[in-house]
Amino acid sequence: MLTGQITSAIIGVGLAGAILFLVRRDHLHGPYALWWFAVAAATFALGVFPVIIAWLARTTGIGYAPVLPIVVGLSLVLIRLLKLDIDRSKQERQIRRLTQKLAILEQELDRLGGRRPPEPTDDNGR
Amino acid sequence: MSAIAPVPTEAGACLAIMPARDEAATVGTVVEGVRRTLGCAVLVVDDASSDATSDAARAAGATVLTLPLGLGAWGATQAGIRYARRHGFQNAITLDADGQHLPESLPLLVKAKNETGANVVIGTCTGRLSRAKRIAWQYLRLLTGLRLNDFTSGLRLYDVHAIEVLAGQEASLLDYQDVGVLMLLSRSGLSIAETPVEMVPRRAGHSRVFASWPVVARYMMHTTVLCLAQIDAVRRHSGGADRAC
Repeated sequence: MLTGQITSAIIGVGLAGAILFLVRRDHLHGPYALWWFAVAAATFALGVFPVIIAWLARTTGIGYAPVLPIVVGLSLVLIRLLKLDIDRSKQERQIRRLTQKLAILEQELDRLGGRRPPEPTDDNGR
Repeated sequence: MSAIAPVPTEAGACLAIMPARDEAATVGTVVEGVRRTLGCAVLVVDDASSDATSDAARAAGATVLTLPLGLGAWGATQAGIRYARRHGFQNAITLDADGQHLPESLPLLVKAKNETGANVVIGTCTGRLSRAKRIAWQYLRLLTGLRLNDFTSGLRLYDVHAIEVLAGQEASLLDYQDVGVLMLLSRSGLSIAETPVEMVPRRAGHSRVFASWPVVARYMMHTTVLCLAQIDAVRRHSGGADRAC
């Protein structure tokens, strides 16, 4: 039978290991890697030493300690989601402007070169 | 890049911009009509059409920009406005490619601009408004403070200052050529005038904004949020405070 500490340690170490694996495999880039590296370190520390949570709860005046990581975790997830949408909006703007610029440059190229080369077709014939 | 430095081409002073998606049936007639009545260069922005819109527009004598991805009506129009800026056009007239806007009404926009000296002229057809649209417009007038009769008309004339503003990054995340565009222009201290014009029912396709009630509801919610988000921005540009929300 597992004790609560061993279970939380397994979850913490497992999550931290998975994140580290992804960071090392280059699946996460730059600032994202840093964020997730910090998350991995936190889950590892809290999983192996749950006493930190009890200490933090006492310090911040929270009566029911287990709720602390849930609240903090959810808040961080929300912040992360917000950042994700900000980044998506920025990328959407860049994609739109690139698409417009591509069309303008293509037209200028046609005007200068006269003939356009045949376009490669994909499987759908487009 | 310097080898293909943009130079004023064709008529130089004015460019008619027509965003078009799958409008092969009508685009040629509209292009010919615009060239006949206004005598200015015509640019059709093909918004990733699946039909022969580009070919029909070229055959009718238009310059064609072909967007590799569909950007929607405003994205396509902005591509045309960026083209106009790059090539030194002093005025840009936007109109729909579906035949809703009559080429014969374009000189009215130019006349209204000359008379009012406004930076932007909107061609409005108040007669065509349904009850739903009238309610929507009243709501938008209250929300934005813009005293206009038609917020979504795609028949517009922009002068060189408006072209400069609308070619910018700030206009790239807008989805429609409507309230967001008008508020941006107003915030930039540009004046907007309206002139009544005759319009005909769409021959093909349908309004992207007033397609169905859920679409209208979504559009109104988007616009409300957009407008609320601008409150602070307008305070920073106090010049437009009396005209935009």
